[in-house]
Amino acid sequence: MSNLNDDDNIEQPKPSLVPPFLAAFVSLIIPGLGQILARAVSRGLLIFFGMGTILGLAVWRFILAAPRDKGALAIFKKALRLEPFLILITLIILILYIWIARDAYFAAMQIGSKPFGLSLLFLVVFFALGWQVSEINPVTILTQADDAWPALSKVIWPWERAIEYPEEFISGGANIRVPCTDEALAPTEPVDEAPYVISFPTCGELTAQDGTPGTNLTIIGYNFISGVEAGIRWTDPNLQTFRHRLEGDFVIVTPDENGEFQIDVIMPYRLLPPSRAEGDMIWEISAQQVSSVGKPQASQELKLAIEKIIETIFIGMMATFFGIILAVPVSFLAARNLMSGSQVTVSIYYFTRTIMNIVRSIEPLIWAIIFVIAVGLGPFAGTLALTAHSVAALGKLYSESIESIERGPIEAIEATGANWLQTVVFAVIPQIIPPFVSFTIYRWDINVRMSTIIGAVGGGGIGFLLIQWIRLTDYRAAGIAVWFIAITVAALDFFSAKIRERFV
Amino acid sequence: MLEVRHLTKIYDDGTVAVNDVSFEVAEGDFLVIIGLSGSGKSTLLRCINRLIEPTEGEIIWNGVDLVQLQGEDLRNARRQIGMIFQHFNLVNRSSVLTNVLSGRLGYTPSWKSLLGRFSPEDLEKATQVLERLGIADQTHKRADELSGGQQQRVGVARALMQEPTMILADEPVASLDPVLAHSIMQQLELLNQEDDMTIICSLHYLDLVQRYASNVIGLRDGEIAYRGSKTEIQAMTDDEFKEIYGEEAERVGHGLEGELQSTPEAEK
Repeated sequence: MSNLNDDDNIEQPKPSLVPPFLAAFVSLIIPGLGQILARAVSRGLLIFFGMGTILGLAVWRFILAAPRDKGALAIFKKALRLEPFLILITLIILILYIWIARDAYFAAMQIGSKPFGLSLLFLVVFFALGWQVSEINPVTILTQADDAWPALSKVIWPWERAIEYPEEFISGGANIRVPCTDEALAPTEPVDEAPYVISFPTCGELTAQDGTPGTNLTIIGYNFISGVEAGIRWTDPNLQTFRHRLEGDFVIVTPDENGEFQIDVIMPYRLLPPSRAEGDMIWEISAQQVSSVGKPQASQELKLAIEKIIETIFIGMMATFFGIILAVPVSFLAARNLMSGSQVTVSIYYFTRTIMNIVRSIEPLIWAIIFVIAVGLGPFAGTLALTAHSVAALGKLYSESIESIERGPIEAIEATGANWLQTVVFAVIPQIIPPFVSFTIYRWDINVRMSTIIGAVGGGGIGFLLIQWIRLTDYRAAGIAVWFIAITVAALDFFSAKIRERFV
Repeated sequence: MLEVRHLTKIYDDGTVAVNDVSFEVAEGDFLVIIGLSGSGKSTLLRCINRLIEPTEGEIIWNGVDLVQLQGEDLRNARRQIGMIFQHFNLVNRSSVLTNVLSGRLGYTPSWKSLLGRFSPEDLEKATQVLERLGIADQTHKRADELSGGQQQRVGVARALMQEPTMILADEPVASLDPVLAHSIMQQLELLNQEDDMTIICSLHYLDLVQRYASNVIGLRDGEIAYRGSKTEIQAMTDDEFKEIYGEEAERVGHGLEGELQSTPEAEK
């Protein structure tokens, strides 16, 4: 096919099996086949699998965009209409097709072309598909940022949620006799200081079931806190309290500057048990205010957050502690230089390494879920989860520092006539202490950070509160938790750096 | 009196490092072993204090075959044999004092050394040894803060703490520059002449060999290729040296008197 290299001494490439146009045509039907027939096998296979992946992904996206349509053409049209982005992908794929055919043509002509353009096109398609699959939509960041702001501002400065004032209920009431009898109830005695309510009249009829309105009462309240809303409530003869409603809304009054208010109410309808619905009944109408009194004090949320952040730090600490205790022996079994003695020790080495790798590859969050099932919700499950991960991670780091100890000092100490124990104490331990300390502190750092989130799956610690408050959209409380986590992690970072400095 | 008879060491991978080597070292000798890297010098030295197990042969020292010793007896023999290394082999992160004191481990009960405690006599001795070697002011520094020459002095100090009657020195100056090389060698010479210690030392440089050796053996491929007395080695020319030693032989320079030359071996 080609006579390009006829005059050269370079080894003759084998000629293409098919003419260039046929190669191009075949590659249009099955991408890459043309290249394979033109003896550019590896490039052909690459194109075939690359194009196969792209088409597969594209088909998936099309079906996803038009899930209810039947038939390839219908799906194609609908998807293009609903997802304009797919038009771009279709276009690039078409260009890619033509390019592949062109590449097959050149391959059959045996003109060595660099696959730069082709590779670039492949990258572009994958990038476009990736953009689509991960639903990247930068516009939403701008359009919906405003929605996030209220929540974010609460998280950033949550401290008004950290203090609260003790609350007190202030109420005053008047008795109403139902129904009216000759014997009138004495009006409420006026009292100094304490709030009270006077009703005119002091007896009446309830609203009937058929809608006949009850007696209209005029209620006057005295000695309430001015400006603070008061709710009107009824207490029926069964001592059940309920709030008075007017057309469905709770009735609320606001006392004037003298602490007084006046309001007309119609006695409500109330279904009472038959045994209590007869004869003489005493009802009470009252007004109730909620007032903040006394000094500010730490809120329930703040107390909880403090309690849980302490729990968090201790979960991290205990997990690190148990992690060290278990990781030290494990690390000796996983150190190649100590375990290369015989077949048996080498198998122990590989066994330990394998187990450690498996344990380490499972995230602490997953371990927490497993241990929550095993030992129930709470900090113990979290401690176990972090311990499991720590043993594997520390075991690996420790064993690597054991593997890297120098032989020289050990030899020198042996030469002084020291026994095995003395050699370990004077030549081995001084070499492994600094890396051990360094890795341990690093792990403690990780464990505390992990324990802040492990509560999310019920492993104890502040993570549980954080997730709970976020779900309750109590962003101020969540903000307190976030602040505590940030402070803890920053402090830990600072101290671990300090300690590491001293040892390394 | 040390007598090495038919010593052979074959490593697990089949390498014959030392092959049927026999020689004698009289009390108070300064024996220098020369030979290329890989000729078996280090293995030979380590066989003497059994850091490496010999495959065959006998090492008779003061009437006892060191090869037969086990456990406590071996450790008691070792503590009388000081050893100095090319790369000093100090515990870098420990203090100079701890490194020097570790020379007393053979005389210290395990429980005491577990706590890192040494007797007041040992501490006193460490101070004396450090002063003798001129590094008393470095006592509380970390070993790796010291220069190469100072580190080797710590190595010598550690060996002296053992109160040895024999010192094995495995290329003690190969990591040092020429000036320091001479000063360390002079320390060894002093120990040899004033303290009557037997010294077995491997060396690379002909002028050092001529200056310090009282006897010389040359190793090539694990076998003895040369034996010479002090007078014989003095008469040796560079060409003869190269013949038994190989082309890599180098002079350090003209010692302290001459100008200092950089040595390609110094970095080794």
